Amino acid sequence: MKTLRRAVPLLALAALAAAGCMLTSGQFVATYNLPDPFDVNSIAFAGTSVDLNTISEYKDHKDELKRVEDLALVGNFTNLAFTTAQLEVWIVPDGSLTTLTPQQVKDNGTRLWGPLAVAGNSTEKVDWDRSSALFVGRQALIDEVKGDGHFALYVLANGGFSVRVTQGTLIVVVGAAI
Amino acid sequence: MKRAWWAVFVGLALLAPAARAGTITLGGGVYGGMSFPVLQDDQGQGSLFGARLPVRLLPLLAVEPFYSTSALGDKTIEASPGFEVTREGSDVNTFGVNVMVPFGTKTLLYPYVGIGSASFQRNGQDESFTSYDVGLGLGFTVMPKFSLDVRGELQAASSGETSRKMFNVTLGASYSIFSTP
Repeated sequence: MKTLRRAVPLLALAALAAAGCMLTSGQFVATYNLPDPFDVNSIAFAGTSVDLNTISEYKDHKDELKRVEDLALVGNFTNLAFTTAQLEVWIVPDGSLTTLTPQQVKDNGTRLWGPLAVAGNSTEKVDWDRSSALFVGRQALIDEVKGDGHFALYVLANGGFSVRVTQGTLIVVVGAAI
Repeated sequence: MKRAWWAVFVGLALLAPAARAGTITLGGGVYGGMSFPVLQDDQGQGSLFGARLPVRLLPLLAVEPFYSTSALGDKTIEASPGFEVTREGSDVNTFGVNVMVPFGTKTLLYPYVGIGSASFQRNGQDESFTSYDVGLGLGFTVMPKFSLDVRGELQAASSGETSRKMFNVTLGASYSIFSTP
């Protein structure tokens, strides 16, 4: 009986020791605000450079970053054209490449998110839950988050388009040691 | 498969002396309470319910297969000034087994540890983790075969490198279904 009485606390201690940093970790939300407003159209096409190192939640946990737990791109997406737009967001690993053409974006990047259908002259508010379901290229963003944290984002749409993104924010939930 | 048969063999070997001593008691119980996320910025607190089958093998040893389901709460953050977004909380389903050392007779104090599998599901998330728990329970026999308990436990659902942790507080009721003679 004495052995048993000692066994459980010892097992618990052993489990805690084995757990190590597993227990001293947490999930932290980092948010990166895109330019507001972020105007994109098929004539004056351009991307935006994202440097996660400029936000403290990311910078503070970057060295201990173990896992990307959740991703979202939220904001108000306004279609300024008359016809319905199928919006997509693409990621290009090199954060300095913000002046590519749509074809170059497709050649050098990865579709990250979308399509999101936005009717002509209307606005779609995309919240966290909806955005999470729109992600198709999670791994590409995870690689960037775990890498240098510096990349470029592009908004693309079908045909001739004109889109305004307001209060656009990239949300990254990182799993990191504390 | 070979390992599983070894585990069954070892388990039966361990149970044999207890069975001879007439000490095996099997019960059934339900419980409910609250689950509080620990160091999780993207989840809120939620409710938790479950069922368990406590098996008293020896005076100081019990095992308890269990199943629990919890609905963690939504989390709202201000993504940009004046723009709030909400992430729904995960539905967490856990099954596993606890090993406990009960002290006392009518009033029981029992530390326990457990292992199992926890699945987290919500829009855009469907993941399963190995779940560990460590806790302390206090049980009261309120009438023959019927007892109530209160427990506090730390649950850690591990991905290997990090874990999602919850502090669970529950109230439960158990009924002793049968004892070996």
